[in-house]
Parts: sequence; C-alpha cells; structure tokens
Amino acid sequence: MTQPLVVVEHLRVERDGLPVVEDVGFQLDDGTDTALVGPNGAGKSSLVRALIGLLPHQAGQVWLLGEPLAAGGRLPPAVRRQIAYLPQAVAPAPNFPLAVSEFVALGWDPPGRPGAAVARALERVDAGPLADRSLAELSGGERQRVLLAFCLVQPRRLLLLDEASSGLDPRAGEQFHALLQQLRQAEGWTILQVSHDLEMVRRSCDRVLCLNRRLRCSGTPAEALAPARLQDLYGPGFVPYHHHHHP
Amino acid sequence: MPDLIALVGQPFIVRALLAAALTGVLGGLLGSHAVLRQLAFFGDALGHSALLGVTVGMLLGLQPTLVVIPFAVLFALLVQTLLQHSRLPADALLSLVYSSSLAAAVVLLSLLPAARPRLTALLFGDILGVSWPDLGLLALLLLLTLVLLLPRSRAQILLSFDPLLARSRGVAEGVERLVFLVLLAVVVAVGIRTVGVLLISGFVVIPACTARLLCRRFSRYQLLAALLGGVGSVLGVLASALFNLPAGPTVVVVQMLVFLLTLALANRIRPGRGVPAASGGSDGPGD
Repeated sequence: MTQPLVVVEHLRVERDGLPVVEDVGFQLDDGTDTALVGPNGAGKSSLVRALIGLLPHQAGQVWLLGEPLAAGGRLPPAVRRQIAYLPQAVAPAPNFPLAVSEFVALGWDPPGRPGAAVARALERVDAGPLADRSLAELSGGERQRVLLAFCLVQPRRLLLLDEASSGLDPRAGEQFHALLQQLRQAEGWTILQVSHDLEMVRRSCDRVLCLNRRLRCSGTPAEALAPARLQDLYGPGFVPYHHHHHP
Repeated sequence: MPDLIALVGQPFIVRALLAAALTGVLGGLLGSHAVLRQLAFFGDALGHSALLGVTVGMLLGLQPTLVVIPFAVLFALLVQTLLQHSRLPADALLSLVYSSSLAAAVVLLSLLPAARPRLTALLFGDILGVSWPDLGLLALLLLLTLVLLLPRSRAQILLSFDPLLARSRGVAEGVERLVFLVLLAVVVAVGIRTVGVLLISGFVVIPACTARLLCRRFSRYQLLAALLGGVGSVLGVLASALFNLPAGPTVVVVQMLVFLLTLALANRIRPGRGVPAASGGSDGPGD
C-alpha cells in the first residue's frame, strides 16, 4: 500500500476572520483524479490555495508528499517543484509581451535554463508551432494546452487545477480533458481539480469531494453525484442534468 | 550641422547626453515592469511627492539628492503599507498621498523665498547642469538595477504576469515587490535632478509603452524599452541643444513622437495591436 500523496486533517481556513473552510479532512492516493465540487462561495478555491500554502490555515494539518505544511505555508523547494497549480482564469492582459515558449520556461524551477525541455513539453501538448506566438493572442483552447505544457516542463507528481476548463466551449473543454487524462496516464500525475462541470467529473474523475465550507460528502462519482447528494450540496431546488448513454 | 558638432564638443552637453542616456535606459528597464503592473501612476505620484523631500532638504540646508533618495524610499514603503492595510482603491490612495505631499512642499517653499528660483529646475529638471558626481550616481544606479533585476528576472516576470501563479512557484511576493518598488523609487528620485518632478513618469512610461506595441517576447520588450529610453533621450537633448529648447520637455516630446510613429507603423504591420490596453497586468497597482 503506497503512502497517500496528500493528507488533510481538520483543516480550517479563514478569510477576513470568517471561516471559509471548516474541519475538512481527506486524502489523495497516488495517481488518482479527484474533483472538488460545490456551489459558488463554498470555499473550493480557498481550500486548494491553503493546501499549498498560498493561504494560511488556522487549524488542522496538511501533508504533501509526506512533508508537513507549516501554518505559514512555506513548502520545501523540493516538494514545491513536484507540484503544479493553475489558478482560475490564467489569462494575460491584451498585448502582454510574453511568448509561449517564455511562459512555459517560467514553469521550470530547478537552477539553470530549461533548454530543450520547453520544446519537448510543447510538442507533447501538440503546441510546438505556437512557441513563438504571443500568449495573449492564443484562443482559449490553445492557451489551456500551453498551461499544460507549463505543468509538463519538469516532472511533477501533483496537479491542482482551479476550474481549468472554464470559459472553453464544450468541444474545446472535452479536448482539454481528454489531453489531461492522456498526460495523467503518461506522467503518473495525481490530480485535484475544482470543477462545475459535473458531466466531465462523472466521466473522468475517480473520486469526488463535495464541499460547502465543510465536506458534505465524498466517494466515487456515482455515489457523490447522486441526485439526493447534489440537492443536499446545492440546495433542494437543484435539478441535476445528466446524459443517459444508450448502447 | 557645424553648430551641432561644436555643441557636442562642449563638456556640459557631453554630460547632459550621458545623463539622458543613463536616465532613459533606467526608465525603460524599470518601466517595462511598471507599465505591466499598472504602476505608471505610482511613478508620477512619487515624482510629485519627492518635491517635499527636496524642499525639506533645502530647509535643512542639505544636498537635495541626499534627502530625496531616503524620502522616495520612505514614500514607497508608506504607499506599499497603505495599499496592503487600507481598503481604498490604489489610484485614490496614491492621489491622496501625492496631492497632500505636493501641497506641503509648496507651503514649505513659500517659507523659503530664496529657493523659489530653483522651483522651475525642480519641476522640469536641469539636465544641462548635471555634474560628474551626478553621472557617477546614475551609472551606479544602472549597475545596481542590473545586478538586482537580472538574477530575479523569472520572479519579476511571473509577478507581472500573475501573482498567484508566481507564489505557487515559490516566488517570495513581498520581497520581490519591495525590491522592485524601492528600486523604482530611487530611480525616480535620482531622475528628478535631470528630468524634473513633472516629467519623470514620461521617462518610465513612454518607452515601455512603445516597446509593448512591437514585441511579443518579454526579453526583447525589456531590451527595446531600455534602448528606446536611451536613444530617445539622447535625441531629445540634441534637439533641445540645436533648437534652444528646454531639454527635459524636449526629450519627453521626442519619446512621444517615437510612440506615435510606432503606433501608426504597428497598426499598419500588425493590425489590431493598437494602444496598449489600460487593463495592464493582472496584479493591479498593489505593488
């Protein structure tokens, strides 16, 4: 039995003195893809940020790759290098002067230049021809592929994605998730992704965490996304939309 | 043309050209990040507030440059602290701080009748009066800027791009912002001697805006901003000497003409590039 990659116990996070995450505990096993779902304002982004120390936590414990996270949030560089986090809506301002290859190189943490690693990462997400383009000029789908190259430029074990496919049209969203799953298999990534796309979660993820300040439920997509559970999470009026696939 | 050659042989013109080149390069280097972080107004506010530092220096009978550098650093720290701990919008806060310090400077100047003739030099700079020690200070500042900025280029680009992404990659946001802000404050304070309180922000903002119209790569953008800052300033000083115009304002007019020309050409070569959007970088003016 391998050690879980992430262990969270009784986590409490406050913003402006008010709790946004309370008494949350879970663990992420190596190689799994877990979705974090819940209504707006449920504390999903705060939880993900607190996991890697971008927000301080007021109580509880977090272990990442076997290392404890200090309350102040400082992660040892060796652990940080193995984690990639993509915040919501990473999009440069118009005319922001940053080429795609320059952006991907920013994901390289070890000392020295990334050299051929940038070209390799771009090739793997089928974005080689975009290397010299301006990041600001890319379409939404192209930009998401480049963000994956940013994660790929050095070996990682854990990916934290905050609504990575929001703003994409359905087709681009599907392509993004297909590529994410393909890379996950190849790289052995463990993924925690915040998502409002319950259909994608049903199709792609191994586990689901339902958060509304506290953890309301967790389990496989079939268990956690059952209508009764969703109504408990989103409110009694919530009608889950679900595709029925007939053979 | 013989007039120009004779003029360029004059030591005070040589010093003015060197000062213009150094100030222009410094403005371009730091302006390339300042514009992306929407700190253009910060440079302006700092320039105006520095007038209070100069006035206090004159009141105390000290060399103004010696007072204005610590004053500018204190101003930068004060603004950074206020931005972090108040809930006021950054532009309102900057306006509040700079208008009150400008008002205090003018009140103090009214108590110093002997200093009034120097007011024009403070407002518009006195590049033709630059001394060799002033040039040494500018050269030292350029060296310091390169030594501090080059090794932390990745951290600074990430911060200009997306502060949250930067922190997730281990960038110490507070330290990096402070280093940049203090450096910008010192450059603005020293630049006031050559360009003046009213025009210093032009040196920081215009070359970076021009370079932003042309470049897709950050490395080229920063290099071009520094180059345009230096070359534009030298051309401005030459034009001012040739046509007997005030030097600081002529430099800013030349840089503005270069910007307009570039804008016209950029729209022709790459339609849609247009004027850089006011939205700037993603981290707002909280630097």
